Amino acid sequence: MILIVAEHADDRLKPISRELAVLGRELADDLGRTLTVAILARDPASLVEECRALGPDRIVTVAGDRLEPYDPDVWTAAVEALVSEDEPAFVLAGHTSTGYDFLPRVAARTGRPLVPACIEWQRHGERVVFTRPVFNAKMHMRVTPKGEGPCFVTAAPGAFPPREPDEAGSGPPQDGGEPRLDAFDVDLSGLPVRSKRIGRESAAAGALDLGSADIIVAGGRGIREKEHFGLIDDLAEALGGAVGASRPVVDSGWRPRDYQIGSSGQTVSPRLYVAVGISGAVQHLVGMQSSRCIVAINKDADAPIFKVAHYGIVDDLFSVVPEITRTVRALKGQSPPVGSAGSGRESD
Amino acid sequence: MSPGAAASGRDTLMKVIVCLRPVPDPASRLFVNEDRTWIKDAELSFVTNEADTHACEAALELCERVSASRSEAGEVVVLSIGRDRAARVLREGLAMGAARAIHLADDDFEGGDEYVRARMIARAVEKDGGADVLLTGVQSDDLGGGVTGVMAAELLGWAHASVVVGVNAVEAGLRARRELEGGLIETLELATPCVLTIQLGINQPRYATLRGIMAAKKKEMKTWSRGDLGMAAGDVGSEGALCQVTEVRVPERDHRVQMLSGSPAEAAARLVEKLRLEAKVI
Ligand SMILES: Cc1cc2nc3c(=O)[nH]c(=O)nc-3n(C[C@H](O)[C@H](O)[C@H](O)COP(=O)(O)OP(=O)(O)OC[C@H]3O[C@@H](n4cnc5c(N)ncnc54)[C@H](O)[C@@H]3O)c2cc1C
Ligand SMILES: Nc1ncnc2c1ncn2[C@@H]1O[C@H](COP(=O)(O)O)[C@@H](O)[C@H]1O
Repeated sequence: MILIVAEHADDRLKPISRELAVLGRELADDLGRTLTVAILARDPASLVEECRALGPDRIVTVAGDRLEPYDPDVWTAAVEALVSEDEPAFVLAGHTSTGYDFLPRVAARTGRPLVPACIEWQRHGERVVFTRPVFNAKMHMRVTPKGEGPCFVTAAPGAFPPREPDEAGSGPPQDGGEPRLDAFDVDLSGLPVRSKRIGRESAAAGALDLGSADIIVAGGRGIREKEHFGLIDDLAEALGGAVGASRPVVDSGWRPRDYQIGSSGQTVSPRLYVAVGISGAVQHLVGMQSSRCIVAINKDADAPIFKVAHYGIVDDLFSVVPEITRTVRALKGQSPPVGSAGSGRESD
Repeated sequence: MSPGAAASGRDTLMKVIVCLRPVPDPASRLFVNEDRTWIKDAELSFVTNEADTHACEAALELCERVSASRSEAGEVVVLSIGRDRAARVLREGLAMGAARAIHLADDDFEGGDEYVRARMIARAVEKDGGADVLLTGVQSDDLGGGVTGVMAAELLGWAHASVVVGVNAVEAGLRARRELEGGLIETLELATPCVLTIQLGINQPRYATLRGIMAAKKKEMKTWSRGDLGMAAGDVGSEGALCQVTEVRVPERDHRVQMLSGSPAEAAARLVEKLRLEAKVI
């Protein structure tokens, strides 16, 4: 059996749960096993309908007041109980702030292998080999879990995209009929409370909404200094687009938090995304890889951003970006704004 | 006295152990090694994992704040697994202001996975008499698993919070701000002892001053072997690892990317033309 631990918020499945179902179904079919989705919630009944659409062979619900708000101790105890009862071959959760927060605890408690941030898998005879990105995705590492018994895997968000509902052959496989529905009883009420959520807020409430932008020019750590970020502003202005940033730009205080694109920032899918001096870490890619046209400018030809880009220029951004701005302006008959911050770096 | 200190009979107010991982300088060019199980790293220069420098700063600030408000001393201890490289990052931690260092070094430690390292970290923490807080980075820049700290928490039997972007000592233990997806932040209250995995951007790590570097030379650095940790040969290194590395390779380049060459002006002109006429996005 393959066991998926579904993630949800506000009585809805999170998108990662659908991605886990893709990986889970692939593994189950290839290994000739069944697929079980576990719902851990205060009131799992409200999620059962949505879980059916994932096409599992079985849905197991674990109910309990202590399961929400999320507490790693409680989720660890619940999943450990499920695992020792059902002995699944693989237990899948997202490589998310929930999945990588509790699954390593279950793995360590049971002394069984954990593959973090999995992006791919293959069968090698009787064994399953998983691929994980290392060195900021410049390299891929294939690992084989040792021994017999459950193996734990967190799946990198975006690595197992569900098919669009209108594509042929998608949707839950109806041949297996309705999934079996089981309630799993485990007493979680006696666990000591060691961590308690006392508040929740949005870090970048309000201001900049990049989600609806048509064109985004985003700058990364390659810009090197706050003063140089004007290069990005100028290109964005010439293109009539918005400005975004990778995390280090925000962490360094060059731009406010609401400019950040990626897993802990905004998710965008503009018509045109220009990534300047951004390496393309997985956490950045999940926030922008569905953009229609992606341009990457980076001096490192091996930068992983080129794996999602449509057009690439391998060169020094300080010489290339002002040229692009100039060309676009010439094309549109614009003149450079007075006091432009953009072109001050040629001497470097 | 903090609960952790009381439990272990220690007399310092707050003891924080910080894990520092040596990683290849991120600007290095990487090549896969002969047997395709790792990179050729003998010639590379190693630095402290970025998130770990933030963890070290967070530890120093936490102890400084506690000392200031309760006029008792805190202690920051840095811990690293590895050969000479690990000793080097430990000296950096000492130069930043940590009080002493623990170096886990043994030929048997070669290879190994997150589980093995979490076990070694947990053993070392116990052998050193426990702590109030154990800090790790949110993830390593080379392996990127982001799980060692959480596993160590489980093996120690401690509470934890991952991806922490703010931390303060309060009456009941610690108050930590934890980062979720999409810019959401949750605030937690945690009982000590606990493990926190520290996220990038939580602070601006201080630079070691010349005085700090000189002072670091006189600070204590313990070196512990496998035997000192009381672990069997089969518990550490590649033998103890629960996952075996089958292959490391350069990922295939996606063929859809069109690389535009020429001088900056030529490449820019080509790009703008492609965007207009081929992609039709401007
Ligand atoms: C839990 C978690 C959540 C995260 N969330 C996010 C997120 O939401 N968004 C995000 O962006 N990151 C996020 N990160 C961080 C992410 O892992 C990377 O560290 C980050 O995306 C790197 O940003 P960067 O590409 O700007 O910098 P780097 O990785 O340092 O890349 C800089 C790039 O600039 C290039 N460069 C340098 N100089 C020049 C030059 N002169 N000309 C051309 N190119 C040059 C370099 O070749 C390099 O590729 C998160 C990390 C964690 C652990
Ligand atoms: N060799 C090591 N020595 C000390 N700490 C380590 C080592 N490897 C990993 N860690 C700690 O564990 C964190 C997470 O690593 P990882 O799980 O590999 O992403 C790092 O940021 C370090 O704080």
